[in-house]
Amino acid sequence: MLQNVLQFLNDHYLILATIKILIVFAVLLGIVAYLVLMERKVLAFMQARLGPMRVGPWGLLQPIADGLKLLLKEDIVPAGADKFIFLLAPVISIIAAFTVFAVIPFGPPDKGFVISDINIGLLFILAVSSLGIYGIILGGWSSNSHYPLLGALRSSAQLVSYEVAAGLAVIGVLLCANSLSMVEIVKNQQAAGIWNVFRQPVAFIIYLIAAVAETNRNPFDLPEAESELTAGFHTEYSGFRFALYFMAEYTAMVLVSAIAVTLFWGGWLRPFASVHWLNFLDYTPVVVFLGAGVVVILGSIKNPVPGEKLFLFAVAGLCFFLAVVVAIPPVNAWIQGVFWFVAKVMVFLYAFIWYRGTFPRYRYDQLMNVGWRVMIPVGLANIIVTAVVIYWWSKPHAAAAATLLFR
Amino acid sequence: MPEATYLDANELVINMGPQHPATHGVLRVKLRLDGERVLGTECIIGYLHRGVEKIAENRTYVQFAPYVDRMDYVAAVTNGMGYCEAVEKLMGVELPPRAQYTRMILAELQRIASHLLWLGTHALDIGAMTPVFYTFREREEILKIFENYCGARLTTHAFRIGGLQYDLYDGFEKDATKFCDYLLPKIDEYEELLSTNRIWMNRTKKVGVLSGKDAIALGVTGPVLRGSGVKWDIRKVQPYEAYDKVEFEIPTGQNGDTYDRYIVRIQEMRQSVRIIRQSVERLAPGPIFGKVGKVIKPPAAEVYHSIEAPKGELGYFVVSDGSTHPYRVRVRPPSFVNLEALDIMSRGHLVADIVAIIGTLDIVLGEVDR
Amino acid sequence: MGLKELLRRIFLLDLVQGLRLTFSYQRPSATYTEQYPRERPPVAERYRGAPRLNNNPETGETLCIACNLCSLACPENLIVVGWERTEDRRKKLTTFTYDVSRCMFCGLCEDACPVDALELTQDFEIANYTREGMIWDRDLLEAGPQPVRYSR
Repeated sequence: MLQNVLQFLNDHYLILATIKILIVFAVLLGIVAYLVLMERKVLAFMQARLGPMRVGPWGLLQPIADGLKLLLKEDIVPAGADKFIFLLAPVISIIAAFTVFAVIPFGPPDKGFVISDINIGLLFILAVSSLGIYGIILGGWSSNSHYPLLGALRSSAQLVSYEVAAGLAVIGVLLCANSLSMVEIVKNQQAAGIWNVFRQPVAFIIYLIAAVAETNRNPFDLPEAESELTAGFHTEYSGFRFALYFMAEYTAMVLVSAIAVTLFWGGWLRPFASVHWLNFLDYTPVVVFLGAGVVVILGSIKNPVPGEKLFLFAVAGLCFFLAVVVAIPPVNAWIQGVFWFVAKVMVFLYAFIWYRGTFPRYRYDQLMNVGWRVMIPVGLANIIVTAVVIYWWSKPHAAAAATLLFR
Repeated sequence: MPEATYLDANELVINMGPQHPATHGVLRVKLRLDGERVLGTECIIGYLHRGVEKIAENRTYVQFAPYVDRMDYVAAVTNGMGYCEAVEKLMGVELPPRAQYTRMILAELQRIASHLLWLGTHALDIGAMTPVFYTFREREEILKIFENYCGARLTTHAFRIGGLQYDLYDGFEKDATKFCDYLLPKIDEYEELLSTNRIWMNRTKKVGVLSGKDAIALGVTGPVLRGSGVKWDIRKVQPYEAYDKVEFEIPTGQNGDTYDRYIVRIQEMRQSVRIIRQSVERLAPGPIFGKVGKVIKPPAAEVYHSIEAPKGELGYFVVSDGSTHPYRVRVRPPSFVNLEALDIMSRGHLVADIVAIIGTLDIVLGEVDR
Repeated sequence: MGLKELLRRIFLLDLVQGLRLTFSYQRPSATYTEQYPRERPPVAERYRGAPRLNNNPETGETLCIACNLCSLACPENLIVVGWERTEDRRKKLTTFTYDVSRCMFCGLCEDACPVDALELTQDFEIANYTREGMIWDRDLLEAGPQPVRYSR
């Protein structure tokens, strides 16, 4: 029976892909919703506050309340707006953000953790993710209002310049991996036994900075700089269209983190994947779920409200159940890749929030200076150095020197 | 300084405010922009006008005291102190030392509170969202001291004409010194977050430069003037209360830019701590009221008295016709005069700098509009 | 710029020290928030909040002697004292209204009261659904503030 089902899915590629897409889409929506909560919580802790505490225990149900609120709000179109484009713009933004996940390998492809492993994955990512800025520019322009217009102008300039820097950083990885496919890039890191972040540290830092800039996050959040442009390009948006922009921004955060993990941090690979005496690390998921369960249990004991107590007990039960499930060896092996991938992405997302909690905002012209005068030259230099070193290594040294010098 | 737009493009006129996150209340600034570059600004004020000076004419001297708290509502204690002193000067009342030192301690605490609030909001304007929560936490400790002393946190109505309504509560000295010990490391933390941060320096250095000459010509006072390198502090040049008996320095800047004003205010907080410590040491038991009658009825005369409020020179011009009601009270608010400098400071800068400059001027609209 | 300064800039040390500070603040003990409706903030003894008209605790009669000084002291003229003459020509309090919506809690009435009848208490929750509800009459003032106890 199971054999038949698998055979059927193999024969009808589209059905399998659709199922995968739906799963990825649903999981992403959940992650994005809870990323907002995580951001509010982490920021609050950094600022000696508690963050949302009223909706559910520790504010755990806050994303649902936020979503409902935005859904029920009136969707206002300003009188002078270009209506069609105004309504279309947030949709472009979010579609571009979600589409890119098609080529991201969440885990080993032989276990089916990638929707589509196309051989020009990296180009696809660069192409589609740059479409997202249309959403911002069109949204800002069609609002027919001054602040959104300024925000849109800022974001177009910013995204165009930092796209270049990010592209240059990626080329360094490309030279190392010798492939444009995301899966191949990870496999190359596995074969080399070293993550690209150690082979390409400069490229990593450039990519990281460019990623922050591309997602319009602090310290590069000029297009929506609250204290300057009220809300930047989405000043005139309300209700669910605002929520779409909001989701697009957070999806983009997850996206650039996923790309950074794949390109630089070894994708789905476990840390020290080739060191066998560290194989006990395979059981980290069990420990994580157990730890989460214990924390939640402790919290539920302290919680005075009966309803919340019960809810927390249920959450703890779920955690323990998951801990047991992932301890089963086949499940454990299957979950490995995606667990490490998500864990690494979380580290990046945390860093994004951390920057927001710490840094002031750059000014428009300074941002351009950093982009064009520092990042792009350094990125170019990195490419040249990488190319020379790789060329050097690929040949016997003397011959390489001779060719370099005398050819 | 550019006067016309580049390539004769159309000017963009933007109304910043009165509802805008970074105009510190209800200031409306009409910006003429070339792209993002500012060609000129025009402040439109009066959205918070309550006619405080007119109210004074219909109240007795005592009754008017709570109203002055509502001008610069983040530094109510210094406002009230200035008014009380002006009327005392009119009546020729000398305060006993305990009242003087109590007033000084509370006024310096208020100065720290005001500067903390300024630092938080200024950093928030420039995009750093964390300092505001740290500074509010420290300010909260000051407000707790106020609450324990006089029963209110913000609009305190702490002093009465001729002295203090309340004597210090038990443990006030301990609270004040404890707060000083608590504050100094926190100031270091703010500096760690901002002072050497490259983004902060980029955003504040060479932004909103005001030369000492311009500053004097415009009549700006307080940290804005001192940031431009002019050593002028009413506490030193026209000492009131017992400021001539305590030691402190006047921090000044050199370049007159936003960064210098930031450093000046940070240093001023440290100097305030010094003043508080010395004043607490000199608090001795004694009377808290000078020789005033039950009914405040100054002789027919007029007086101008100014003090160094956290934001600059706060002056009260009181005219008395010999009755229990003031004939006229005119207030010289520091924020209003400092706001005049906005145009000259912001020409040629970008929109993002406008919020930094409004922030660095440290205006409170309650005081500008009165 | 010295060498030390240059190295600081290249290795982003000025940014790292800020990151270190915000990171260290995540420890739970650094939290400053009060969960307001769940835990009520401590209020100072001298706090000037909702007004109350004190009764003599033994006899239950009002302490107010209807001298009208509070009404005269009030900058906003929001206190109205009503009285009648008894047979022995003494003033007796009949009505007392206090418009809390206009009150700025300056405490001048409290200071003026010669018999400690009018007092600003420590209650700070004086919100009301109607404007009329903000005008407190003698019964309300004598009953004193009834702080809400929250439970959830």
